[in-house]
Amino acid sequence: MKSPPTPAHVQPLNRRRWLAVLGSSLAGLFSLVPSRRAEGGGRERQKEAAMPDGYDPTRHRWLMALDINRCIGCALCVAACKTENKVPPEPTYFRTWIERYIIRKPGPGSGELRGSTIVDSPNGGRDGFPPSAIPRDQILRSFFVPKLCNLCEQSPCTQACPVGATFQAPDGVVLVDPHYCIGCGFCIQSCPYGCRFLNPNTRTAEKCTLCYHRITRGLKPACVEVCPGGARIFGDAMHPLPDDPLSEFVAKNKVQTLKPYLGTGPRVLYAGMDKEVR
Amino acid sequence: MRPHRIPPQILRLILLTLAIVGVYSVARYFLTPASFGRYGWYRAAALGEIAAYPPDYAGKAACAQCHKDKAEQIAKGPHKALSCESCHGPGMAHVGNPDVKLVKPAAPLCLRCHEANPSRPEWLKQVTLADHYGENCLECHVPHQPNEAP
Repeated sequence: MKSPPTPAHVQPLNRRRWLAVLGSSLAGLFSLVPSRRAEGGGRERQKEAAMPDGYDPTRHRWLMALDINRCIGCALCVAACKTENKVPPEPTYFRTWIERYIIRKPGPGSGELRGSTIVDSPNGGRDGFPPSAIPRDQILRSFFVPKLCNLCEQSPCTQACPVGATFQAPDGVVLVDPHYCIGCGFCIQSCPYGCRFLNPNTRTAEKCTLCYHRITRGLKPACVEVCPGGARIFGDAMHPLPDDPLSEFVAKNKVQTLKPYLGTGPRVLYAGMDKEVR
Repeated sequence: MRPHRIPPQILRLILLTLAIVGVYSVARYFLTPASFGRYGWYRAAALGEIAAYPPDYAGKAACAQCHKDKAEQIAKGPHKALSCESCHGPGMAHVGNPDVKLVKPAAPLCLRCHEANPSRPEWLKQVTLADHYGENCLECHVPHQPNEAP
């Protein structure tokens, strides 16, 4: 039997032809690279965005501390953060939020000193806190806990990122490079404090930047600016000012960090924290 | 057969390895952003890009430059720790253009902080609205100096 004749335009893929195809596709690939750099990849060709006022990230070490005794639960910080950072208005998207802890009185004869803990955060506290459904006489203790990025020394989120889009800057702030983020969400899962979210508009991960665009200009983060109770203390650990509120705060208070047992090395400090706070 | 000749199949493997490494190095050179690796395993240019976002809140010092009287007034009372923008909202647009007016907050904003709530700390003055004199706080209180009568 004779095999059907090969059509003239289909050449059999022998070694010579295979090598030719490989060579030409490689050449084509390399001709693509410079053109890509010229157009889309040309981001880097543009002049690098300069820091405001010659800000040098290696000469600062920013930190926030929170005084739970001073938090009055107005959550003006949450609203200010959403405005300042253009955070989507829907609940579940927060760079900072306030949690209300209610510790019930223990049941009679239970042998416990403190009852069950109830934590809520209606809309992150953005619209303030309506009175709780738990009657006042059943509450043993109650307080508000402001939450934000813990600026971990060994941050799981930066280790989880597969593309180097999130990192700890030399000034201690953990940032997300919005041009590099591929929106895989690994960092969101890895953060044990739940501080990250996927922005539904940009499809990139977002988090508290300590208002990086403000602190590099010498302004306070928006949440610190509007806090009426002085619950949020912000400062530079590397070059503290003479009347630095942060140095005074750590000298006067017994401070703790959130979930220290995880080994993430959180740098955000809390004063007046009960054992129930997670 | 000469003793030191590399067998052809090994030679092909070496050439193939060199080719792969070469292609990788060239591609990496072209595709890695210029600022990658300056501070660490990330694009250092991102710092400047993030820092370039425009701020919305101007800060208390900016307010006090024009509204010196209000800044001095509030510094005398228990509201001295408050920032102007806590109640009046973000003010950067107003700093750039005084025709952009900020909100004059009304009474419900007072309750955001001062409504009685068992979760609030005891040092804060709190009112239960039902037991208080009225709903219009500003009839009796001056927000810039809350202990003074208007």
